[in-house]
Amino acid sequence: MKNRPRPRMMRLLAGTAALAVGVTLAGCSGGGGGAESRPENEVHVAIYGDATNKVEEQIVATFNETSDVKVILDKIPGAEYQQKLQTIISTQNAPDIFFNWGGGSIQDFVDADLLLPLDDFIEEDPGLQDNFLSSVFDTAVIDDKAYGVPMRGTQPVMLFNNKTVLADAGLEAPTTWDELLEAVGVLKADGITPIALGGGDQWPTLMWFQYIYDRVAGPELFQDAIAGDTDVWESDESKEALAMLRELIDAGAFGTNFDSVKFTDGGSPALLRSGKAAFELMGSWNYATQQDADLEFAENNLGYTAFPEVEGGKGDAANIVGNTNNFYSVIKDTRYPDTVRDFLKLMYSDEFVEAQLAIGNLPTTTNTEKFLDTAAAPEYSAFQFDLVKNAPAFQLSWDQAYPPAAGTPLKIAVQQFFNGQIDADGFIAAMQAL
Amino acid sequence: MTALAPRKRSTRLGGPSVGRPGFVWAAPATLFFGLFALFPLVLVVVLSFTAWSGLGDPRFIGLDNWVAIFDDPILFKSLGLTVLFVVLALVTQVPLSILLGVWAAGFQKNRAVLSAIYFIPLLLSSAAISVLWRALLDPNFGIPGQVPFLFGDGNLFGKQSTAIGVLTFVAMWQFTPFYTLIFQGAARAVPPVLYQAAEIDGAGTVRQFFNVTLPQMRNSIITSVILMVVGGLTAFDTVLILTNGGPGTDTAVTPFYMYQKAFRAFDFGQASAIAVVLVLAATAISLVLVRVSGYGKMQSAQEGI
Repeated sequence: MKNRPRPRMMRLLAGTAALAVGVTLAGCSGGGGGAESRPENEVHVAIYGDATNKVEEQIVATFNETSDVKVILDKIPGAEYQQKLQTIISTQNAPDIFFNWGGGSIQDFVDADLLLPLDDFIEEDPGLQDNFLSSVFDTAVIDDKAYGVPMRGTQPVMLFNNKTVLADAGLEAPTTWDELLEAVGVLKADGITPIALGGGDQWPTLMWFQYIYDRVAGPELFQDAIAGDTDVWESDESKEALAMLRELIDAGAFGTNFDSVKFTDGGSPALLRSGKAAFELMGSWNYATQQDADLEFAENNLGYTAFPEVEGGKGDAANIVGNTNNFYSVIKDTRYPDTVRDFLKLMYSDEFVEAQLAIGNLPTTTNTEKFLDTAAAPEYSAFQFDLVKNAPAFQLSWDQAYPPAAGTPLKIAVQQFFNGQIDADGFIAAMQAL
Repeated sequence: MTALAPRKRSTRLGGPSVGRPGFVWAAPATLFFGLFALFPLVLVVVLSFTAWSGLGDPRFIGLDNWVAIFDDPILFKSLGLTVLFVVLALVTQVPLSILLGVWAAGFQKNRAVLSAIYFIPLLLSSAAISVLWRALLDPNFGIPGQVPFLFGDGNLFGKQSTAIGVLTFVAMWQFTPFYTLIFQGAARAVPPVLYQAAEIDGAGTVRQFFNVTLPQMRNSIITSVILMVVGGLTAFDTVLILTNGGPGTDTAVTPFYMYQKAFRAFDFGQASAIAVVLVLAATAISLVLVRVSGYGKMQSAQEGI
């Protein structure tokens, strides 16, 4: 009877209590509980829970075959990952190794002196640096010290489509913004939601802003904004980008109920898969998601293209947005640094590269290219590889680039602009207030 | 009926002479309450005067968090929403659970079976209930997708009115069984002699319900209302999972807003200030309710029978 209302009288107090107990614990252990108090013969790895976990499980199993100190994978449901990590990272329950997005996502931890610089590891095994593409590896370099090793695939955002739906409507995948608008009109007339959007999650909506701003104004606008020049949000390019988005929304491209749909609970991928929608703008992990749900669809009917070009826009049509990669970073207090180092070495092993490719992820190791043919979908992997290799600019997702405090207001503004609660001026004001 | 009864005896039975248990008996509970409720509460008050992201040590910043509270339109909106949810919960849950409780107090043949089925939500956790309804109400693959004439485009979570409607409905679905249980017990406790007297006086079923059953259930109703109010003020889990406070901030009730500040923005100082406001508001409302309703006196409804 957990949900009986009577205990809820206490829940408020209990909630504040939990907050306060957390404070006390964190206060106690803030000075560093020391490695000795950590679990014996165990190295804990905190990982974002999703479809890619099967590769992580495989790698851990391989490692544990020969190691006395066992690596234990702690999967944390994706939506709650960041909260959980921030809450435990300065306590004794902190994982030895944890998944992150590099850059802004670990900056606070570095400032708080919680992370182990990997320079010693790299000195012992230069391969921990040399075997990765340097542009990706550098995302987790802070103040000239390396704090992370790339551990998944690069995740550019692409425009996915359902090939059958496009063929039935007599359409080709659009390469320009005007073609996209045209396709929206045709699909809508056919009674199909042109673009699936998991608006309930908010971050899928954000992807549309990231790309349209890049195409219209180039990557410089956001770089200026994040550097503190909020005037750029009032620029003509910014207003034009918002006007183009508004035109797309008003054309019915996303239907009317996108805010009730989520990507994370499988809603929007199912729309694309079932043919109720024709397109979805999503990170490269969408392949693994679709493959997980319906292997045949992923192999035969899942199409993908780069984001359409905007004619007359300042941004290069080859620019991409997304996450450069994910990283494993190491806690300073870890009890078994040698085990950790040896485990990290597996992140450039042939087995790792092949396993990632097998589920459609594209690792950023230097040996990736020679395995491209062995990928589950060699065509998809090759497409992604070229996309990343040829991109003049790779914009990190906005919510990862801003500090955590800005994340919620950013995503709320994005959602409100899409559903019409605020207009362009309202969005500009919200972005300037971040 | 009770008001008319002559008061021959003192309403407060059993003074110290009867040998009531002393404070020692309450010590374990008091200690527990002090350690796990009052002490952390004090810490939260302290934290509300600091800036802290969860890493390193909290830094005292004086009244900044409290000044920010009065300059935060979203917080005021959230307080308004919280009150709205409480009112909606009362309006929907009280009448429904009274009617069901009174019905379930009878001895009809089908009652046991129907009651058992109806109590199932009581056995599920809030998280499970929220996930369940989120899936059931999916606009494309859930119920709304099957009956478009009733739900239109099914954008239940995308508009404020329908999102509030969903949250109110799910709360009703979740908690009505519990209050039904309370009212069933209360209705069973009404002495049959009162109904017999009413019948002799010529009162029909409806009249009996309003003049006998309802007044006799007064204390149970007040208890339930207080539980609903305090429960409503702290409702959080269903909001997090069903609407995530959206669209925009349209269903961001104060507990959820506190969570956003603490565990999304990692501004524990500001979140603590909001928590203190919430504790004060909940305490004040409970006290007012107890005073106004005379619940504190706990008079028996059967005085004089």
